[in-house]
Amino acid sequence: MLLEKYPKEVKQILSKYPPEHKRSAVMPLLYLAQREEGYVNKAAMQDIAQLLDVTETEVASIVGFYTLYHDEKAGKYRMQVCTDLPCALRGADEFLNNLCANLGVKVGETTEDGLVTIESVMCLAACDKAPMFQTQGPDGIKYHENMTVDRTMELIEALKKVKE
Amino acid sequence: MSKQVTLTIDGKQITVPDGTLVADAAKLAGIDIPVFCHHPKLEPVGMCRMCLVEIGRPMFDRATGQIVMENGQPKIQFMPKLETACTNPVSEGMVVLTQTAKAKEGQKGTVEFLLTSHPLDCPICDKGGECPLQNLTMEHGPGKSRFIYDEKLHLDKQVPLGELIWLDRERCIQCARCIRFQDEIAGEAVLGFDERGRNTQIVSLSDPGFDSVFSGNTTDICPVGALTTADFRFGARPWELKAQASICTQCPVGCNTTLNTRREAKAGGDIVIKRVMPRQNEEVNEIWLCDKGRFAHHYVGSKKRLARPQIRKDEKLARASWDAATKLAAENFSASKKDFVILASGRLANEDLFNLKSLADHAGGRAILYSDMGGGDLTALVGVGAGTNLGKLGEGDAILVVASDLYEEAPIWYLRVKQAADRGAALIVANPRETKLDKFAKFSIRYSYGDEVKAVNDFGKKSKISDEFAKAKNAIVFFGSEGLGLNGTSAVASACADLLKETGHIGRASNGLIGVWQRANDQGAWEVGLQPEEDLAKALKGKAVYIVGTDPVGDDPKLAKALEGAEFVAVQDILETATTEIADVVLPAQAFSEREGTFTSGERRVQRFYAAVPPTGDSKPDFVITSMIAKQMNIVLEGTSVSVVFDILANSIEAFTDLSYAKLAEVRPQWPIVGRGDVYYGGTTYENKHGLGVQLVPAAQVGGTVRIPKVKKEAVLRPKEKELLAVPVNKLYDRGVTVSPAELLDERVGEATVSLHPEAAERLGVEAGARVKISFDGVSGEAVVKIDDTISAGVALVPRSMGIAIKEPVAAKVK
Repeated sequence: MLLEKYPKEVKQILSKYPPEHKRSAVMPLLYLAQREEGYVNKAAMQDIAQLLDVTETEVASIVGFYTLYHDEKAGKYRMQVCTDLPCALRGADEFLNNLCANLGVKVGETTEDGLVTIESVMCLAACDKAPMFQTQGPDGIKYHENMTVDRTMELIEALKKVKE
Repeated sequence: MSKQVTLTIDGKQITVPDGTLVADAAKLAGIDIPVFCHHPKLEPVGMCRMCLVEIGRPMFDRATGQIVMENGQPKIQFMPKLETACTNPVSEGMVVLTQTAKAKEGQKGTVEFLLTSHPLDCPICDKGGECPLQNLTMEHGPGKSRFIYDEKLHLDKQVPLGELIWLDRERCIQCARCIRFQDEIAGEAVLGFDERGRNTQIVSLSDPGFDSVFSGNTTDICPVGALTTADFRFGARPWELKAQASICTQCPVGCNTTLNTRREAKAGGDIVIKRVMPRQNEEVNEIWLCDKGRFAHHYVGSKKRLARPQIRKDEKLARASWDAATKLAAENFSASKKDFVILASGRLANEDLFNLKSLADHAGGRAILYSDMGGGDLTALVGVGAGTNLGKLGEGDAILVVASDLYEEAPIWYLRVKQAADRGAALIVANPRETKLDKFAKFSIRYSYGDEVKAVNDFGKKSKISDEFAKAKNAIVFFGSEGLGLNGTSAVASACADLLKETGHIGRASNGLIGVWQRANDQGAWEVGLQPEEDLAKALKGKAVYIVGTDPVGDDPKLAKALEGAEFVAVQDILETATTEIADVVLPAQAFSEREGTFTSGERRVQRFYAAVPPTGDSKPDFVITSMIAKQMNIVLEGTSVSVVFDILANSIEAFTDLSYAKLAEVRPQWPIVGRGDVYYGGTTYENKHGLGVQLVPAAQVGGTVRIPKVKKEAVLRPKEKELLAVPVNKLYDRGVTVSPAELLDERVGEATVSLHPEAAERLGVEAGARVKISFDGVSGEAVVKIDDTISAGVALVPRSMGIAIKEPVAAKVK
């Protein structure tokens, strides 16, 4: 249960909103629920629905709409490569292909050790520094710009060493 | 009257109330602006862009604040871009152009966009023939798309949102009418959008899927074939269907319906009901219908329908002629004289009940209403005044709901009461446990089972709640049978009537008492003079009994035993039941769909229903059978024309004076305008062309002093140690004979349950889902444990009509 696991955080989040508009707390609560496992499971959605007096479907549709909420388990880090047109002109497609080949995965798949999931996403507003991607993981969201496959592999090695 | 605004649409001048949206104003002027997401019953969202029009407003001089004139006319300034007619309210002097090249281009463009991924599979689509997208594509579509055909996104075509409603993802145009209906109107947001952009899809995560008793309405307002009912999908093409006006028989709301029928090879060439659709009556059900009303109709086409009269010969029922069967019944009834008892249910029409009552009166017998709810004499006295419309209640009004779970007992009343609360009416819900309506209540009163009368009488004391009720401009009280039997309901009705009288809320429109009856026409039965009997077993034992439209043997072992000892039993019904099995004579009656008649709703509105399908076998209407028996007893009762029976009824019962079939069939224009060729506007609800019905005038509205009879309530039962107070509650989807033949609803009917407080469950050593035996008073049955922490620890809730014969609170053992 979210409330039992993070009593202080839940209370703090709820205190930001007037009780009659407590449903507005849904987004910070979803981030909280996603913190540990990198995705929001069904039980957490039920929890949040109950906390905020909304239906589970309403919570799920927010998870579904925003690209930074996930409802399926993936690697510890999601590596989200922007492949929109300006990035592609700067070699994002080629970068993504080579990176996947190097890791032995396809776009959307997770490395065998469960560390990284490679995803292709829409604009991250850093066209001039492509190829670029963001990592979404336990430490939040981080940008990695002007990347090469080699530098990315170094990053992955470094991520392997990060201890929880 | 609110402020009026005059504007011009396509050169046509129209005056409408301030705040009206341009799309609705156009509709009133007879100009159809195409819409998809806009629905007159829903809040505007402007998300589909179909209703693009040119809107101009008078130009104001910034310096003087005066309207700029040009050639003696106000100068109209048009917006540079097209605007949505569904989100813009009208303003004085506004000029709207819907047919210009610019507006047409905008509308064509929107259709072209909507069709980028729509499969256009009209030939296999259930909506084909009554589909707004199909119609608008023909009318506004560009004919040829500039998008690449092969890039159409193909999505799942058969996604069950629950077992009742199916989604076709690629047909969906994301107008969100269904989501908004569930959220705004039903107050159950169990539908939502998942994903975004072209991947957007409708989802429901509730358990069971699409957990709402209003789900079928989303298929009516869905402007494409994305949502279809499991009942009708792939069932027929809309243009093959005939439509006949009817009234729903499932609860006392009296929703106006349309029965769509078709001759079908699958049914052996018979004409059968293919679907039940809502028919507009803004004072009853608006344009909605609950799922029970929509899906439970299968009982009239059940294989168990009785087709021929039967007489018991050598212990077996054998086919007989009408003459022989009615003669045998008549002989036995005549021979019994005062020991002749009629037991009739509120499933019958007014005309049937009237003939039965007349027969009992003339033959010196007794006519009893088969019901465990009292208070119908009081609703005739201080019922809601003529002209009552729940849809008009709002700010300054009050609604009190006592001992009733409207969501389960009368869903459309729940819907309309909830909306009255949304408009500002003070909703007070007094019930021993939490019900769905509590969420919208201004005040929730919790009392213990047994303290119903006290809870109502407490309104006599000064409190915030009683003040609010007393001061309300209009006040309506709904009373039901949750936790109560005949004596309890009679006492509660009397207490409620007193409260209404004391606070001056009687004798006027939108004020008074409404009974949440268990059957569609219980109110009608009370009106013609039938009343329930406290000790029914005693009243039946040793008598010559004429049982009409009810199954006492199947319902209650005590009544079965009493009927074993009956002198003679004639059973008149539409279906084979446990009672027909013990009958000496079985008389097959016609279902409501096969004949004409009238029902009286809980709001005391008398409404007509019409014959939609041919009768089953040799069956006859109930009032005809009764008159045939009467004739054999030398009693003359009208038995040929149902409208003549009604005329006689109207002549002999004061409340019905001046009513006639012609009057009941009168219609008036209603808003919103639905059910015409432009189904995109209001959905596929049928327009009402067959009568809005007439509300009876309660005695209190006629004038004179109103005396409310006191009812003494029996002392509250105190169960012994190791016993629980078992109380009856009402469930929408039950095992009643008018529900079970609809297999589609099996999952929602489920098993018999018993609800316990967590403490009681712990004491008994059972958990949720455990199977227990519940026994009381010679009755016993199995039930699945449900845990409810809003009830008290000493009670066990047992739903009615789920296989355990509970009529009133009893001390029970649960093991």
